[in-house]
Amino acid sequence: MISIQLLLLIVLGLVAIWFGWRVFMTSSMVRSALSLMASMIAIGGLFLVMEAEFLGVLQIMMMGTEMSIMAIFMMMYMMDPGGLGEMDMSHQKNLSITGAVIISLLIGGATLIIDWGPIAVNIPGPHEQNRLLGLEILERSMMIFETAGFTILTGMIAAIAVALSVKNKRN
Amino acid sequence: MIIGILITLFFLAGIYFVAVLERWSLSGTMQWSSPVRSLLRLFIQEEIKPRKHDSIFFEAAPVFFIAVILLTISILPFGEGLVLIDLGTGALFINAALVYVMVCLLMAGWSVNGVYGMIGGWRALAQLIAYSMTVVMVLTATVMRAESMFLPDIIESQQSLWNILYQPIGFILFYLSAMAIAFLPPFDLPTAESELAGGVWADFTGIRKLLFRLGRLALILTLSVAVVVLYMGGWLGPWLPGYVWIFLKTLLVAASFFAVGRFVPRIRQDHLLEYHWKFGIPLALFNIFLVGGLLII
Repeated sequence: MISIQLLLLIVLGLVAIWFGWRVFMTSSMVRSALSLMASMIAIGGLFLVMEAEFLGVLQIMMMGTEMSIMAIFMMMYMMDPGGLGEMDMSHQKNLSITGAVIISLLIGGATLIIDWGPIAVNIPGPHEQNRLLGLEILERSMMIFETAGFTILTGMIAAIAVALSVKNKRN
Repeated sequence: MIIGILITLFFLAGIYFVAVLERWSLSGTMQWSSPVRSLLRLFIQEEIKPRKHDSIFFEAAPVFFIAVILLTISILPFGEGLVLIDLGTGALFINAALVYVMVCLLMAGWSVNGVYGMIGGWRALAQLIAYSMTVVMVLTATVMRAESMFLPDIIESQQSLWNILYQPIGFILFYLSAMAIAFLPPFDLPTAESELAGGVWADFTGIRKLLFRLGRLALILTLSVAVVVLYMGGWLGPWLPGYVWIFLKTLLVAASFFAVGRFVPRIRQDHLLEYHWKFGIPLALFNIFLVGGLLII
């Protein structure tokens, strides 16, 4: 008996894989970046289907911004961003195919070997999930999150400082 | 049921009112028939497709634009218990959905294979990334006060004092960011008429342009509802029923957006980003610190 939840899970998983494949099958940089975004949104959808609401919404929010930024950088650095000039996105085909097959087999094997434990029956409501996530961040994982947060803040300040110096020189 | 229909009618009227105000912000006169005229004109306008346009994005961008805004509307409460989808992460979802306004503008700007459109699209990217950062930071402060990301809980937390008075810095930042996200004047850089001849929308005509224009009007109204819910007490108010209060406050906020836009000149792109990254984000962080302090006291 396949429930709607499982069906959605399968469909979204396939959507994620399909868009992941589209990333390399197009020559337009913006199409490529937005395909990756669509793949990531499908993964956000997977979180939502699995009732991890906060993670799903966060994934969808972050990926929208990140992939748009990636789009502009890909467009700036590629010599043929629109893909109008017969450019091929794929390189070292034999090596990549071998690598992809080996890694897929490893990951597929790992998912079968690992003992995932019992399936969660009582899923806490969204409000409770948010609270538990907050407690997790402030207890066991505090060091990791503080380090990451501090690094990002430093990066932001550094970026603003770098942007300032050009202006000062002009004055 | 009846209340639902009533609210829908209210908001359709609201969109009409916003359209009239948009016209007023450009011409200075209230032309009550102008939205109908624009609608009819765009319906019969010839649909021009630019040479070598990106067909997928060209067709998808206007539809996605309006879809994203409808998603945002679906999670906002329009009265006590009158919310379509009561998300446990409602406050975060507002920003998550609005990020895709930027993606749609980017798609639209890129798809037309034209210089004005593309510059408009990249401008929209820079502007909306900058301002969605502030939005998420000031949202954090409202969530801190309510101790919940449910939007109805955020309204209930303002029972004693509205957030507009409790965290005025947050309100000002959210208000300005909302204007920037809806690219209203003076932040209308992606579609600047006098610089880019319409920017992102320059090459869209007919029904596609109509979808963009309608989507923008709905976006302005949606952001006004968000301002009301987060900072102006939502349905809280004496005598009248809650949904009437939300509607009246929303119209007031939407009108104030246009009033600001009419009398302030368009801001320069580098100033826009500079003010935001150098003053907006530090102020938003300070706001979190301040609200945290107030909550502990």
